[in-house]
Amino acid sequence: MVEDTRGIDRTALVILIVGIAFILAPIVIAFLTATLSYEEFVSAGGIGLNVGSSFLDNMRRIFVETQLPGQLWNSFVISILVAGIKCTFAFTATFALVFYDCRWSRIIFALTIATVMLPLELVVITTYQVVANVAMPLNWLIRITGLAWLSERIFGTMPDFNLSLLDTYIGVALPIATSSTSVFIYRQFFLSLPKDLPRAAAMDGASPCRFMVDVLLPLSWTPLVATFMFWFIGGWTQYLWPLVAAATPDAQPAVVGLAKLANAEPDDIPDVPLLMAGALFVSFIPVVLIGVMQRQIVRGLNLSEK
Amino acid sequence: MRSRLVLVAGAARIASMTRGFYTGRLSYWSLVLPILVLIVMFFYIPVALAFFWSFFLERPFGGGSEFVGFQNYGRVLSDPEFWNAMWRTLIFMVVAPGLAIGLSLILALAADRSIRISQAARNIIIWPKAVAGASIGVVFVFIFNPFLGIFAPLNEISPGIWNPRIDGADAFITVVIAQIWNGIPFNFIILLSGLQAIPDMLAKAAAMDGSGPWRRIVDLQLPLLTPQLFLTFVLEFVGTVVEAFGLIDTMTEGGPGGATNLLIYKIYVDGFKAYDLSGAATQTALLMMFVIVMVILQFRLERFVKYER
Repeated sequence: MVEDTRGIDRTALVILIVGIAFILAPIVIAFLTATLSYEEFVSAGGIGLNVGSSFLDNMRRIFVETQLPGQLWNSFVISILVAGIKCTFAFTATFALVFYDCRWSRIIFALTIATVMLPLELVVITTYQVVANVAMPLNWLIRITGLAWLSERIFGTMPDFNLSLLDTYIGVALPIATSSTSVFIYRQFFLSLPKDLPRAAAMDGASPCRFMVDVLLPLSWTPLVATFMFWFIGGWTQYLWPLVAAATPDAQPAVVGLAKLANAEPDDIPDVPLLMAGALFVSFIPVVLIGVMQRQIVRGLNLSEK
Repeated sequence: MRSRLVLVAGAARIASMTRGFYTGRLSYWSLVLPILVLIVMFFYIPVALAFFWSFFLERPFGGGSEFVGFQNYGRVLSDPEFWNAMWRTLIFMVVAPGLAIGLSLILALAADRSIRISQAARNIIIWPKAVAGASIGVVFVFIFNPFLGIFAPLNEISPGIWNPRIDGADAFITVVIAQIWNGIPFNFIILLSGLQAIPDMLAKAAAMDGSGPWRRIVDLQLPLLTPQLFLTFVLEFVGTVVEAFGLIDTMTEGGPGGATNLLIYKIYVDGFKAYDLSGAATQTALLMMFVIVMVILQFRLERFVKYER
């Protein structure tokens, strides 16, 4: 466009520089501090622009003195589980909801979408109860159907099943995976495909299952990759639920481990360089992921249109 | 996870389900059963249990439960600490999203201009999305440390002017700033992709009619951006209710003197530290009802949003 935009462009430039500075400032401060040794940090009297040479040493201490490396692995497994479960369950279910003719579809769609309204953090108390004994609904069922009464008559004992998933990867991951945003995203995508697609596949003799795997799956690659990355990062950054569901350090994800490490430090002059190195260590993988995959994620989630 | 976006458009579109092609009963149910079992088991049962416990009192030492009617609600609602936490949650819900969305809007409008820095800005401003609230808390509590942080020099000039460990307002401000840092990326992406979806033609037509770039922001871009602005408000309001937990737990632990004790943190402390299952469940039920009412209210508001382009 031929018009004078210098004024507004200059303002935009200043705004963006300030914005980038605000976003980068904590990261730069964390990085600079992580290069200092504890002694250097104490003698500098706190925050500063000095660059030390102890970054590798602080990283080494993370491997030797803390449990963060193992917990990083926990984070990785839990995030893969969360993203994997969300994507596969939502993909198969949405395929059925869109391409099958069934009067239950509306209700099932509403049920899955409603999970989005209440975040897991709101209901941690009772989610904890359920995960502490996932056989609880089974016990209710036995009691309601009268089987319990029957078994008390015959064997003299009430059956009471008990299976705790606390402190396990799957127990931490499953409740995080319930939020079914993916169903909506995939549904939007499926509905944008040509209507005659399943018909054409059927003419070629493909079963519904074959159609899903060989036609729909390759077509859905963009939204699938984007949602997988997004939920991976979402699983990684969870805090409240893993905090209560994983009580032992061996089962905790890295974010919880970092917070425990910070809370264990003395209040007056904590070992800030070690903590900052830890914060970078814990955040490194998802930040690189979002920096590199940014375009794919934004495009795949289809945020530009409602 | 801030994913309430689905809800906004979702409910409206349930009505328009298209007729499917396949009819197999068995394969249909085997495809939807996994997600149904998952959400019933780990979403609907916990939600129902929270309401169940809000009407029952748990006897100590595993002695079963006793129906108490609305006693739990009476106890919670007459507790001034509950109302304080609720009030703080409300303030936090207005201040943090308001600032986060306002700043994101300014940044998105700037990044929408095709100047050289905007590509770098688009990439960098999204980074905090990948940083967990608790990790942010660990870094920000150091940055705002009264003796080691950026305001330490201020304290040397006049001692005690900045101390989030003693001063409740200071502590609240630090949590709000951390929440803004965490909240900018997602709002920024939504608003920026909304801006980029506005057809170039409109801007050209407006320019032809003699409106400059500043004028176009007010008269063209902002009105066309209302759907995305609405979306960010819905997401942020519900999101901040729960997301503040990671920040509070690592930065202030609800202190000083309860100044940052939001309801989500109080529920955690009551349930997992004080082992008051019924009290925590009752507050959970109340908070859930509050969130549901908020979402419904926002749906009502949606009627004023322009969708046609």
